[in-house]
Amino acid sequence: MKTNLQKSVFNGLLVGLTAGIFSASTYASDEVINASFHPYNDEIPGYEGLSVGMTIDQSNVAQFKEIIDPAFLTFIENGWTSMNVGETTSFDLHPAYVEATRDSLGEVTLGEQVGEIIGWKAGRPFPQSPDPDDARAGEKLAWNYKYGYNWGDSAAIYPFYWKYRDMDSGKVERTIKFNFHFLNYKGRVIQEPTPAITPNPSDLFRAIYVQVLDPADVRNTQLLIHRAADDLKRDNSWLYLGFQRRVRRLATGQVTDAFLGSDLMIEDFEGYNGRISDMNWTYKSTRYMLMPFYNHNEMNLDTETHQDDDGYQVIAFNGQGGCFPDITWQLRKVYEVESVPVDDSHPLSKRVHYMDAQTFTIPRTVSYDRKGSMWKTFTIGQAHPDLHLPKNKGTGVSIDDSFSMIDVQASHCTTGQFKGQVDPELSRPQMFNVQHMRATGS
Amino acid sequence: MQTTIKGLRFWCYTLAGSASLALLPMTNTLAADDTRVNGYVENATYGREGVGLSKFRNTLQMEMEKSAGSVGFFNNVRFNATLRGSYDGVYDLNDDEYGRNAGGPVQLQDVGSGYVPHGGGIAPTPFLGFDTTRNPNEGMVVLGEHLHGQDNGVAFGVPVRPCDEDDRGCIDGYLDKDTNELRFQEFNDRADFVRELYADFDINFDNGNILSTRLGKQQVIWGRTDLFRVLDVINPVDYSRNNIYDELEDIRIPMWILRTDYRMGPTEVFDGLAFDDLNFQVVWNFDKFRPHDIGQCGQPNVILDAGCFFRGMNNLWENGGTVANFAGATPDGGLATDFGPGQIGIREAHMPSWSLANTQLGMKLEGVYGDLGFSLNALTYRSQLPSLRGGIPAQNGFTGQTGVWPSLIAFDIHFPRVNLVGGSVDYYSQGIDTVFRVETAYTSGEEFANTLRDKLYSESDVLRYVIGADKNIAIPFLNEDNSFLFSGQIFGEHILDHEREQRTYGEAGIPNYEHNWTATLLVQGFYMNGRLTPKIITAHDFRAQATAIAPSVDWLVNDNFKLTLGGNFKVGDGAREFDDCRSCNPWDPFTQTPGVINHLPGESAGLSGYEPLGRFQSGPIGMAQKEDEIQLTARYSF
Repeated sequence: MKTNLQKSVFNGLLVGLTAGIFSASTYASDEVINASFHPYNDEIPGYEGLSVGMTIDQSNVAQFKEIIDPAFLTFIENGWTSMNVGETTSFDLHPAYVEATRDSLGEVTLGEQVGEIIGWKAGRPFPQSPDPDDARAGEKLAWNYKYGYNWGDSAAIYPFYWKYRDMDSGKVERTIKFNFHFLNYKGRVIQEPTPAITPNPSDLFRAIYVQVLDPADVRNTQLLIHRAADDLKRDNSWLYLGFQRRVRRLATGQVTDAFLGSDLMIEDFEGYNGRISDMNWTYKSTRYMLMPFYNHNEMNLDTETHQDDDGYQVIAFNGQGGCFPDITWQLRKVYEVESVPVDDSHPLSKRVHYMDAQTFTIPRTVSYDRKGSMWKTFTIGQAHPDLHLPKNKGTGVSIDDSFSMIDVQASHCTTGQFKGQVDPELSRPQMFNVQHMRATGS
Repeated sequence: MQTTIKGLRFWCYTLAGSASLALLPMTNTLAADDTRVNGYVENATYGREGVGLSKFRNTLQMEMEKSAGSVGFFNNVRFNATLRGSYDGVYDLNDDEYGRNAGGPVQLQDVGSGYVPHGGGIAPTPFLGFDTTRNPNEGMVVLGEHLHGQDNGVAFGVPVRPCDEDDRGCIDGYLDKDTNELRFQEFNDRADFVRELYADFDINFDNGNILSTRLGKQQVIWGRTDLFRVLDVINPVDYSRNNIYDELEDIRIPMWILRTDYRMGPTEVFDGLAFDDLNFQVVWNFDKFRPHDIGQCGQPNVILDAGCFFRGMNNLWENGGTVANFAGATPDGGLATDFGPGQIGIREAHMPSWSLANTQLGMKLEGVYGDLGFSLNALTYRSQLPSLRGGIPAQNGFTGQTGVWPSLIAFDIHFPRVNLVGGSVDYYSQGIDTVFRVETAYTSGEEFANTLRDKLYSESDVLRYVIGADKNIAIPFLNEDNSFLFSGQIFGEHILDHEREQRTYGEAGIPNYEHNWTATLLVQGFYMNGRLTPKIITAHDFRAQATAIAPSVDWLVNDNFKLTLGGNFKVGDGAREFDDCRSCNPWDPFTQTPGVINHLPGESAGLSGYEPLGRFQSGPIGMAQKEDEIQLTARYSF
């Protein structure tokens, strides 16, 4: 009896302890997930003097310099643009992505080399808050971006207007109309097939396919980028030149050149479009900053650039040279991360990324040339999916909706106006191979 | 036995008409997403040293596309039409070089008299000599005169006016354009103003594979290299537009073709062998045969000057004529000789008629394996370059007897059947950040001039290849923002059954080099956000020692308007000599060559001159040595 009693007590304690540990563990897990994906559930950030509906311009910007990145601060100080402040809103990512993160919480680690990751299957690999004492914290944030829910499992910007502008005169020198398509081969959480597309002989993680629709001299130029799951392997890229009707493989050097004469290089796409291992990443700080997050349907829209049967219109641009999206900005939690190219011949000395902590998009990036001078500044406006196209509602994708890449040295910019569509039919796997480029080229 | 389908043209035009009708509604729905209408107008004005205006071409091109989506069994149905019309004013504005007033009387070298006029050569038998009222000394140039002197070699007069002005030397069905066909290049009996007209349609299979078909008048492009046509041989090319220097896109001659691709995408063939992309293509060129347009004598661009040689030779056959330095020729020259009709020259061109046997069929397996892109190609086609076959019946100028004479320079033009196998790969080398492209083809059935053979030609297998490398290189002192594209290529050609022998006065055999290489280098920069793109293309033929340098600048004034200023300059040796078969002794013993011991009938003694075979040694760059140009093109797209 005594023995049984002891056994029962022991068993009881064991169960209780296990349950306690499990409960504590579950609680810790929930805390990490909530902090990572729902940072505004408990508290909306604020800043002294900042209020929704106000405009930050030349007259009052000094008061807010702590919550504006240095490039944009200069633009406002110069009177080139202003910021309309909107309400901070939660951009909830899709629950399936959040669940995938929860499922692999604690199972993902970095390998020895930059660019190696172990244990990731889907979701955000490192949802924990970055630790300033962790020398590889910046790298983990970069992985969170790379494996983010940026465009979901697949999406298309269909169409996508780029305008090359002289910032001094405001003259639009060139308008290029594209279609962009994105497809994740791995880490898929919503669109079938999940979690991966097979067969996948080259073990790709992602592919991007771009087609130029206008103007005539570049029509039917197509770009295909295959990004391997192994980050240490270089991208394979191909370019189809409409005037030659040939597919040409691209050297990596060509992804750090101006893409079709714009102010963007291929590596700039989406904030950063390269390998983790091409950069040395440094986590600088966690900040609250004004970031370009807004509700598309409530913005001033451009009535001329795009018309369609959906009645959809793209974001308007204004300010100096028409280089600034006419949008509202929210005070949001941001990770400031610096990336320095490993390759000494890279045209940049570094980028400073301002990653949105909730969505892990990169809505602001400032780039510096090889001499260390500020060169370009990249803004990607993020639209809430529920106040955009009806088909985007409920997708849990923070919609890239407008961009502005300003070359501050050349006083020139390229602006982008999107019709982002989270629609798997627009980005079928058959589109992401070389033969599709040949078949599509006329 | 060939089966002729006489109604082919009817069916082609029926298809063209059907597609046009399908496209017609788009004129009312230009703004719809499923339709597109674009086009451009362009003026290209070129000036040539010593000649003046060499091109004043005005072009209107319209491109129309309509997507019909899914139609019954087919997916992704699209119709596409490209119409092009042009007027080249050079034939009116510079008509004393290229039009109705071109040419004039000619003088031909004679060892006795120095020079004699056309019609002033010797005619020692009743069978030699010709009627100068049928073949007068007017409207002619001396063959090759723009490039070289007669220099004790072969020369004869070549009519240069359009064929409606002067039909001498115009070869029926091959090089016989009248003034309007020269002025309005696309408006001819092959309806070239319909540049492309095709329908695309897919069949999607449950396994994700796609059978993708394009049917109609189209260009089919194989290979991975620029400028050189190693695998890209399905469509013939119009070299009369701008020699070898225009983008192939603009000078390929579209053909009625069925192209079907079975697109398998990522494919695991068996465990351990998987392709990222795999595609099998069948190409059936069912159009009536067309050769390259090599340019008619009297046009500004006549590649290798071959069109002038052919026209002069056809005139010799049809009407007789004077040939410089012929009778009793030695390296010190000979007597200008008047031949009668039907004795030497080109009799006719055998243009392959439409028949199932004359259609052309190709297959290609193409894919991506790891970091390697590859293709394997096979094609059976008709040579788009002419082959001159001797051995035709001709009159002996000394006896009057008609027969087949060994090594007589009397020819018919043929376009032999050629079989090609080849392949290509591209590979990106991370270590040196450079893309390599390799393309190779092995052909059998090609024919070459050969003065060692009785019929003056022989067949040879040929190996061709191009190795190319592309690299972007930053040159900060020239451009801080954008690197320069360097693209280099080496083209090799190896005639595997090459024949050459040393004879009394020089080498005889195949004039082409047994092994030859040509290198190209493109350097292109980008300024003003890609709106100003200077580039320089150079090409060097190693054996011909001939170099072309083509600098140009494109300026995109805005999205619609582009100006291109360029030049094309040649340096090098220019004309080259080779056995010209004056010493071939066809009419033995009358044509034995002085100084040759035991000169056998039909055996060349290797007497050489610039014409006619030296052109194969000079190559297209060397033969255009004197055709330096300044070029200005303005294009407005809409």
